[in-house]
Amino acid sequence: MNKLSRREMDQELGRPGAHPDRSTVLTRRTFLHKSLLYGTTGAAAYGLFFPLLNTIDMAFAQSGQSFKFAWISDTHLYPKNVNKRFVEKATRAVQELQAMNPPADFLIFGGDMAQLGDPVELQLGAELLKEIKIRKVFIPGEHDWYLDMGATWNKMFGAAPWTFDHKGVRFVGLDTVSHAEDFWTSRKLSAKERMGHMATLDGTLGGAWAAVGPEQLNWLSSTLAGWGKDKPVVIFSHNPLYEYYPPWNFWIRDWRPVQEILQPYGNVTNIHGHVHQVLYNEIGKLRSIGMLATSWPWPYAPEGVPILTRPMVRVDPGEPFDGVGWAVHTIDSGGRDDAQYKMWRKDIFAEAEVDSGTGDNRNQVLSPRIADRI
Amino acid sequence: MANEKVPCLRIAAGVAVLFFLAIDTEPAFAHKEKHTSDQLEAFQAVFMEQVKIGDLLFHGDAETQKKLNVNLSNTGTACAMCHPYASDTHPHEFPKFQEQMNEFATLRNMINWCIEKPSEGEKIDPDGPAMKALEAYIYWSNRNSKLDPGRH
Repeated sequence: MNKLSRREMDQELGRPGAHPDRSTVLTRRTFLHKSLLYGTTGAAAYGLFFPLLNTIDMAFAQSGQSFKFAWISDTHLYPKNVNKRFVEKATRAVQELQAMNPPADFLIFGGDMAQLGDPVELQLGAELLKEIKIRKVFIPGEHDWYLDMGATWNKMFGAAPWTFDHKGVRFVGLDTVSHAEDFWTSRKLSAKERMGHMATLDGTLGGAWAAVGPEQLNWLSSTLAGWGKDKPVVIFSHNPLYEYYPPWNFWIRDWRPVQEILQPYGNVTNIHGHVHQVLYNEIGKLRSIGMLATSWPWPYAPEGVPILTRPMVRVDPGEPFDGVGWAVHTIDSGGRDDAQYKMWRKDIFAEAEVDSGTGDNRNQVLSPRIADRI
Repeated sequence: MANEKVPCLRIAAGVAVLFFLAIDTEPAFAHKEKHTSDQLEAFQAVFMEQVKIGDLLFHGDAETQKKLNVNLSNTGTACAMCHPYASDTHPHEFPKFQEQMNEFATLRNMINWCIEKPSEGEKIDPDGPAMKALEAYIYWSNRNSKLDPGRH
């Protein structure tokens, strides 16, 4: 079988009789977008790196007070007696964040605190984060959700969406993980089995689970309605708010209406987790920045890596602290914001193809897995 | 004269024997019979069964590990957590010098290194059924990749 196109994959993976996913249909409108994303992916994969700075600029139009906030996500904690390495890495991020001087104004935890949604795992995460004394806000990841459909998460960390204004910036936290179609009831899957499928990035039963959903779309629209069109907005989500690589849910399925809502606003930055890698994209005025995990790095997807992404280096799989970390976002008094990856290594970005996380894959052709479909 | 006839007779007898041998052994030199579609399907089924077992092992399936008497991880992790769709396994680049191992390595060497180091599991028999199944899954997932052995 030859490499499948996205549309073919969608048809193969979709349920019998289901309409093809609209995002796989090439319209004139999406052609422009796909040309930008895919047409240039090859160039990126062959080592034509763009001269982005070590930090990513988000030039807010409005000047304001300088402040920092921090991001930690994707700790994927198992119970302590199962996996100590993930605990050690989350602990290091927590300690470094707490040692910031001056401290960050707040921490956003971007989801996937737990690996299998186990209350023991979530409790462990809460205990580690107790060491951080600044304000903490949370959004869920799919690993936190599908054992008990978010019951423990919401009880411990509060429900999303939420919003608050801070020093001239409107911050929004979205839930992009709770809208999977019910694949478990008809198959009579247990809660643990459901969680197991949702915790498998390249699993197929979960389908295109990442979404904002109609209710939250309305909420987002009304939340931003009273906010000036040129004033800065930062949106936190577990998944990216654009189409990067749907088979691994490196997207939200309703990215079009989200972007329509955001289109009138001049300074919107989406900061997201889930991808466990350095990632940057711009679509119109929406800027998106992918964050590292503390647990392990994902490889870049076989297609769709935005051309504006300056790929991270190939990491050493024998070094548990390589390719992972956390991030500090600084918004200075001139309205300039730098997102700084706190990756635990000297070189973060690749300068040559041989060192690149995307250049490394130049001869690679992948096919979707099969075992959970036969 | 009698002495001269003996070698001639021997040669004639030898030629005759070779002639009959050639007739008798002809089927042994003939091409195999053409494959039937049933055969081809059966070959493919054997391969895909191994792919499926390899996929299950690669995704940490406990039952399959138990059945094959292997323990690929002691940390709850699975190969697929770092290698969705078996990406970044690069089977088409082996054998090559593998930096982490500091030696010239095959894919099977690398699989065992990953099991032992990042996953903290137990090395498996390099010629055993679990290794063959893992190899089948990794190759199947990366089929059509360009063969480029030795590439770092």
